[in-house]
Amino acid sequence: MKTQLRQFIFQELIFHEAPDQFGDDEDLLDAGLDSMGIMRLIMFAEREFDVTLPDTQIEPDNVRTLNALERWILNARN
Amino acid sequence: MDSKRPQLTQAEPLWFNPADYFTFVLDQEIRGAGMPGGYCGFVLELEEVPDLSRLQQRLDLLVERFPRASARLEQRGKRYAWMPTGRRIALEWQTCSSREEALQEVLEIFNRPAPMAETLPLRLHWIGDDRGGLLLLNWIHPLLDARGGKILMDFLCSAEPDKFGESPALIGEKLAQWSLWKKIGFFLKAKRHNAEANALESCLPTQADEGGGRQSLRLKMRRFDPQQTQRINQLALKYTGAAGKSLYTIGCFMRAMEQVGPPAAKAGYCIPYAFNLRRQNAPTPVFGNHLSCLFARATREQVTQRQGLFAHLLEQYRQTVRDELDYAYLPLMWLGQWLSPARYARLLRKQHSGGELSSLWFSDIGDLRFGPDGFLGAPVSGMFHLCWMTLPPGMALLVGQGNGQLTLSFSYLHPAVEESWLERLMARMDAELLETPEVGCALHTEHAQGMGDADSGGQCPPYGVP
Repeated sequence: MKTQLRQFIFQELIFHEAPDQFGDDEDLLDAGLDSMGIMRLIMFAEREFDVTLPDTQIEPDNVRTLNALERWILNARN
Repeated sequence: MDSKRPQLTQAEPLWFNPADYFTFVLDQEIRGAGMPGGYCGFVLELEEVPDLSRLQQRLDLLVERFPRASARLEQRGKRYAWMPTGRRIALEWQTCSSREEALQEVLEIFNRPAPMAETLPLRLHWIGDDRGGLLLLNWIHPLLDARGGKILMDFLCSAEPDKFGESPALIGEKLAQWSLWKKIGFFLKAKRHNAEANALESCLPTQADEGGGRQSLRLKMRRFDPQQTQRINQLALKYTGAAGKSLYTIGCFMRAMEQVGPPAAKAGYCIPYAFNLRRQNAPTPVFGNHLSCLFARATREQVTQRQGLFAHLLEQYRQTVRDELDYAYLPLMWLGQWLSPARYARLLRKQHSGGELSSLWFSDIGDLRFGPDGFLGAPVSGMFHLCWMTLPPGMALLVGQGNGQLTLSFSYLHPAVEESWLERLMARMDAELLETPEVGCALHTEHAQGMGDADSGGQCPPYGVP
């Protein structure tokens, strides 16, 4: 899951010189993920992982890192 | 030269991409109404004089690296292209005695006639004053979008200019990834979406139309200090979540306009905003427009409920992205390249009734940070933006956050937009953004009292140029 998220984020949303070296706990918001990017990321995750991510949970802490994103998606699935 | 960089000779035409052509259509409409054209400005407020000779060297490097920076526009058959001239972009500079005078000079530059054949598509002005000065990057929209303007400013002051490069149009790259059927599907989706957007007659900030006589561009600004900016960001997070910061500003604007009373009162509000195809922080592509268009729409009834409005705009945005409407406009824009500017404008920008679709031109330039070295050694104390727009709507709101301070730049046409009305609107906008206590009762009070009074209710002094 993280591989797909990483690929989408760095191919579509954020420029990074070495995306493979971007840590799973590094801050995506500091790296440039903006509000429009967050919505596109959420829609990608919903489509790709067949999950609904509630509007009320669209918070910085849920999208701040790859690990947080993965946790959010897995929780929403269960 | 970097081998990855396109090896262009000065004779090669650099074709417009579909979004360049769309902005060219708008430029033609603006010129057709007797105004200079689709020019945009990005202004840095500097506390000292930057290294001007280094700046000129960097401008020379810009023309060498990016031939379209100094080019003339040519029509070839039905399509348009930039023809590089290699002509030097000379830094234009002057000195003013005060910041007010320097701000006035910015507007004078913008209001000068700018025939396409005689004007460089991109110019840089240093306007020195008693507090340092203003650095104005002034360009014509088909050349690059606002994000490109920011990247270009970064190039001009970067210690590593080599990391900036030209690359193909992102719209072309996206279109190349899709099958013919996917493109047709998107095209039909975009057409349906456009028809839906057109069904809601838009309130406008002026009753004047293209025949409204000679117009000049004016500017009013609001700057919020870091504490106020932080509060606004927190409120945006509260009402529109991490995914909808721009929507908070757009919603506040709709409510402010509804409270003050729209001069052309119709069924609702429609505010187009750009969806930028560039990745955040990417140093390339610099030139060209890499945009698609999204619409924030609400009926006047929806605007009356603050929380409900933000929830509506967020849901609308979510649905737009879910339906891939953010991409749907690309095939439409691609086909639009073969239409004449007038026909294209009618199809994409006007409502079925012939009225103007946009209640306002809006752009959120985002959050910019300038380090302690500032711009070529000069600390940056602020920034603002300005642009020409069509009439109607006759007004543009350009939003940017520089070093933690939010600035709202209202460009507007005078006399089409009434200034006392705009002052009241800006005051209401302050109150909406900051959610000051009177926000909850504002709509009720002002509907009851008509236009309401000119009391600001906001906390930020106007910082404007009449």
